[in-house]
Amino acid sequence: MPFDDASDVPDEALLVLYANGDAAAARELAARHLPRVLGFAARLLGGDRAEAEDVAQEAMLRLWRIAPAWRTGEAKVSTWLYRVVTNLCTDRLRSKTRRRAVGLDDAPDVADGAKSAEATMVETERMTALTAALETLPDRQRQAVVLRHIEGLSNPEIAEVMEIGVEAVESLTARGKRALAAVMAGRRAELGYE
Amino acid sequence: MQDTDLEDLFATARQQPVTVSPDLMARVLADADSWQPAAATLPSRARKPRLFAGFMAAIGGVGGLAGLSSAAIAGVWIGFAQPIALSSVTDAFLAGGTAAETVDILPSFDDFLSEG
Repeated sequence: MPFDDASDVPDEALLVLYANGDAAAARELAARHLPRVLGFAARLLGGDRAEAEDVAQEAMLRLWRIAPAWRTGEAKVSTWLYRVVTNLCTDRLRSKTRRRAVGLDDAPDVADGAKSAEATMVETERMTALTAALETLPDRQRQAVVLRHIEGLSNPEIAEVMEIGVEAVESLTARGKRALAAVMAGRRAELGYE
Repeated sequence: MQDTDLEDLFATARQQPVTVSPDLMARVLADADSWQPAAATLPSRARKPRLFAGFMAAIGGVGGLAGLSSAAIAGVWIGFAQPIALSSVTDAFLAGGTAAETVDILPSFDDFLSEG
């Protein structure tokens, strides 16, 4: 089928096409989900870009492998990917005793735009501070806060990703947000919040 | 830090575009390629041997067909024309007045069929 208008094709249909041997479906799925998967992994891993790339590749690989057995209507592809990334990152964080300072090199890429150099610097500094503050949170709180406030998922969706109840999600996000505010309390003026 | 500041930070984080390096995209697509199931194809139907082709093969092709046609036409012609040479041969074998023996295997059956 022509893929000029592939943006209209639902994820599940693309998975079926992929499983039936359509190479264009894999390209569309990767274009649609890889940036989100990579960004989410980078946030959970404290901005470690190389490791986030490995996790993103592994998550997509699991998607390719499950495609022929994908059960339509059971889960959204995006939710399923968030769950895989969450589990992969948890495993990686557990297997390492890594708590290192986050440098500017690890900060997410900032888009070039019409922003002034000063605005760009402030934004970069804020993102670095946020990444560092997120890293101080316990894993589950960090996952819940990132999913809720940065990835924009609803509480039921987060509950599905994290395989916990909605009330537990609410508790995790509330505690995480409070802890985040406490960690960043001293940096308000430094980050340009007057 | 206030809630509004945090919300602002989150909003900024949401707007950060994530750039996927061409190398990562290539690795992901290579994985997709190697794990992709082969396209399913319908098994090709075995063609039924055609009747005429089978007949032609049995008689030995076009040459056989020509020979068979000639023989058939000759047979019809001989049957109608009855050449004298052939008639004398057939007369010798089938001489006139030859009576065929008949055997009545149910001699009394006629009695049942007769009325009265």
